Amino acid sequence: MTSTSGTLISEPPPAVAAPEPVERRRPRLADLGTPLLYLLSLSTALALAGLLIALVGQSPWDAANAMYDGSLADGAAIGQSIDQAAPLLLVAVGSVIAARAGIFNIGQEGQLLVGAAVGAAIALFTPGPGPLVLILALLGAAVGGALWAGIAALLFYWRGVAVVISTLLLIFVANQAVSYAVNSPSLLREKAVAGQVTTSQTDMLAESVWLPRIGEYPDFNIGAGIFVALVLAVGTSLVLVRTRLGFRLRMLGLNPKAAHRAGVGAVLVGGGALLASGAFAGLAGGVMLTGNGHRMQDGFADNVGFDGLLVALVARDKPMLAVPVALFFGALRAGGGFLSATGVPRYIVAVVTALMVLATVFPAAYAEVRRRRTAGAA
Amino acid sequence: MRPSPQASDTAVTASRPAPDTVGEPAGAPLDGPAEHTGAASVLTVPVVQLLGIGKRFGAVRACDDVSLRVRAGEIHGLLGENGAGKSTLMKILLGLVVPDTGRIVLRGSETTIADPSAAAAHGISMVHQHFSLVDRLSVWENVVLGDRGRVDRDRARKSVREVGDRYGLRVDPDACVEDLSTGERQRVEIVKCLRRDPGVLILDEPTSVLTLEESRELFTVLRRVVADEGKAVILISHKLDEIVHATDRVTIMRQGRVVARRATADTDVRALAREMVGRELSKWTAASAVGALDALIEPGTGEPTGGTAVLDVREPEAAPAPKPRPAAGEVRLRITDAHARAADRRPLLRGLSLEVRAGEILGIAGVEGNGQAALGDLLSSLLPLDAGRVEVCGGAVAAGRPGAMHAAGVGVVPEDRHVSGCVLDMSVAENLMMADLSSVTSRGLLSRRRMAERARRLIEEFEIATPSPDTPMRQLSGGNQQKVVLARELAGRPQVLVAAQPTRGLDIGAIEYMTERLHAAAREGIAVLLLSTELGEILTLSHRVAVIHRGAVVGEMDRADVDTERLGLMMGGQAA
Repeated sequence: MTSTSGTLISEPPPAVAAPEPVERRRPRLADLGTPLLYLLSLSTALALAGLLIALVGQSPWDAANAMYDGSLADGAAIGQSIDQAAPLLLVAVGSVIAARAGIFNIGQEGQLLVGAAVGAAIALFTPGPGPLVLILALLGAAVGGALWAGIAALLFYWRGVAVVISTLLLIFVANQAVSYAVNSPSLLREKAVAGQVTTSQTDMLAESVWLPRIGEYPDFNIGAGIFVALVLAVGTSLVLVRTRLGFRLRMLGLNPKAAHRAGVGAVLVGGGALLASGAFAGLAGGVMLTGNGHRMQDGFADNVGFDGLLVALVARDKPMLAVPVALFFGALRAGGGFLSATGVPRYIVAVVTALMVLATVFPAAYAEVRRRRTAGAA
Repeated sequence: MRPSPQASDTAVTASRPAPDTVGEPAGAPLDGPAEHTGAASVLTVPVVQLLGIGKRFGAVRACDDVSLRVRAGEIHGLLGENGAGKSTLMKILLGLVVPDTGRIVLRGSETTIADPSAAAAHGISMVHQHFSLVDRLSVWENVVLGDRGRVDRDRARKSVREVGDRYGLRVDPDACVEDLSTGERQRVEIVKCLRRDPGVLILDEPTSVLTLEESRELFTVLRRVVADEGKAVILISHKLDEIVHATDRVTIMRQGRVVARRATADTDVRALAREMVGRELSKWTAASAVGALDALIEPGTGEPTGGTAVLDVREPEAAPAPKPRPAAGEVRLRITDAHARAADRRPLLRGLSLEVRAGEILGIAGVEGNGQAALGDLLSSLLPLDAGRVEVCGGAVAAGRPGAMHAAGVGVVPEDRHVSGCVLDMSVAENLMMADLSSVTSRGLLSRRRMAERARRLIEEFEIATPSPDTPMRQLSGGNQQKVVLARELAGRPQVLVAAQPTRGLDIGAIEYMTERLHAAAREGIAVLLLSTELGEILTLSHRVAVIHRGAVVGEMDRADVDTERLGLMMGGQAA
């Protein structure tokens, strides 16, 4: 693609020093199309979703109400949505860092899980004052995620194993490893209390190491995780745009050869970006652990890693754009959870959520295709 | 790679038939812009007629009432500087661009060409300047790419061989494209076109990536295509010499208009140059731009004097001729016995040694693929050495460590500037500062103000034509991208400047500019290393010439002692 567009564009402007005049053309439907396109694709998705729900014998109207009730209806629901958004945003920001450095980390689901397990181990077994243990647990979660991503980095820079493949496959390894830890009494499995059968989950964390919550149930209340995520999103955005490190990272992603020439070490900067993205995913796991469930059990990750990756995709690798997108996806997740509680089968909920995702991705994808077409024609 | 013992001849001497064999009806009106007379007799209905074509892009008139007639059995030159509208015109013929006005008449019947597949159906095929090959695929796979239906490997390989035999295009169907030299890649592109048996073959600046020898072979092939098969060839070029030697008729464009049409036999390099540029050129620029080596070779004198047969001399003020070697400065760059291999263990450098002194331009002459790229990569920190050392100003530099060469004071204008010289998706300002970030950062933070200041200063100093410093690099023309890279490298105050193929693909104005800048760099005391496969460029610019062959420097001489016969032999690997 690079070479074609280079050829196509390099020719026309004659060698005059004057800047090329801005091209004026009549406004077309496509120009005011973006909001329209979003509207169209969202309503199509909604219509399809309604149809599906009707097909399984439920009322689409009730389902829509349930979605609304679960995500936006009152303070508690909005708080739920925001709580869901926090780990998504963390994962997304991490994905953005790697993607900007030209590395496609898709193993957040596993990094998140490993991070949460490390966090749980620290939170459960470290004595000390609660807040300190909480911070240690979160840091430990980040380190755990980073190390898990580090395996992929090592494989790539030492042996040339593609990052996409290794990070993806490491998810399955992480699943098994964490499941083993949670099932082993000598590791993380909950301690037996006399007269009680243990299940494959960890003990509940002590309340002192829970992330603080703001507000009171049943009114608006949210965990502190979203603030951690917001601060890191803003920070990442600033680092990428305003600092030397961010510049070097972007350069590496856009043109590794030119970057090497200019002294950007791919192993250091690229590997660093991969580790950072793992750390963000691990931290997301830590936030989920200390903020919501307070214990690990099967299905802990619950696709947050993949959904976060989607957030980054929809936000086109812009950390600040990831904030509203994460909130939207958080609302979908919260609403979806509520919907499945009303009797709509779980898989339909998954399909409805997927339709919503497609609806949000479609306009951007369409615009991109159009852009390439017109670039190809000019 | 055969040696080119006739290197002293003017650049290209393909087998052009004697003028009388050219299908040129006597008295056919050829000149005069925008002439619309029914020139074609019944015998020679043009294969392609573009009549009164107009096309605007915004405020730029890319084509303005352009007419072009091409007959079967001729090589038709389309001459003009970059931006003259040649490419747009060809894109219209290929259905890539829809014209605003004008008609397209193919074999006497009026046609509209809506898209490239329609053009292909009409038998119009083009070899683009930038190849569209998939490096990882083999030759035959590339050739059948885009075909419909089942892939028949044996038939595809056979057809590649057949086309190759028919036109003398030697290429191994099973070779992997990434292992091929540029000349061989071009052959693959041509085979790709010819296999579809087109009536009209368009070549866009085909020799800009070829050596003399390869250019000659190409024109022999083209001559065979038109003479034996009655096809028409349109040759887009800004090199006057090859237009003169390879074409039958020529249409000259300037600023979107046709300014002249000539039978090639009735014109010469000088007249063509004047018409293309619209003014007289200094001898040195012109000679370098058109590759007219005769003009450059006057053994025994460092500074040639007097006019030549082809080029009129206007006293060269803008582009001074190379002086005999200036008082030799200290050695700035010393490479000793460098050995290096590619990732696939193929040897790239085999004991290369050279020295460049402050204030001199050392030209590395050689046939493409003899280690020039590796030498460029080595000095860009992209290639680690197996053995040998690189010293800059007396200090050893770790080859291959990111940024090491740059930190040591080696500036590089790479051959593939838009691939590894700049980041196309970053702005001009960002591209101007990427090599020395420290000058625009404090405590790790980028200073917008200093970035903008620096960009404005460099844009002005190096006359970079860009709408603004924040324009994406991708939107600049090739010549201006080159200027950005050069500006950045020189702004770093290098001890050594490496320029690889600095004028490849540029138009005359840009060549003039580059030539002057490189001279200025040497005058300021920078040691300049020039890597080029164009002998004309080497001879125009260098104080000293070294010849590279199979990854080593096999000979060296002062510019004043250059004897092209000997140079040609050395480039071909024969001790002389």
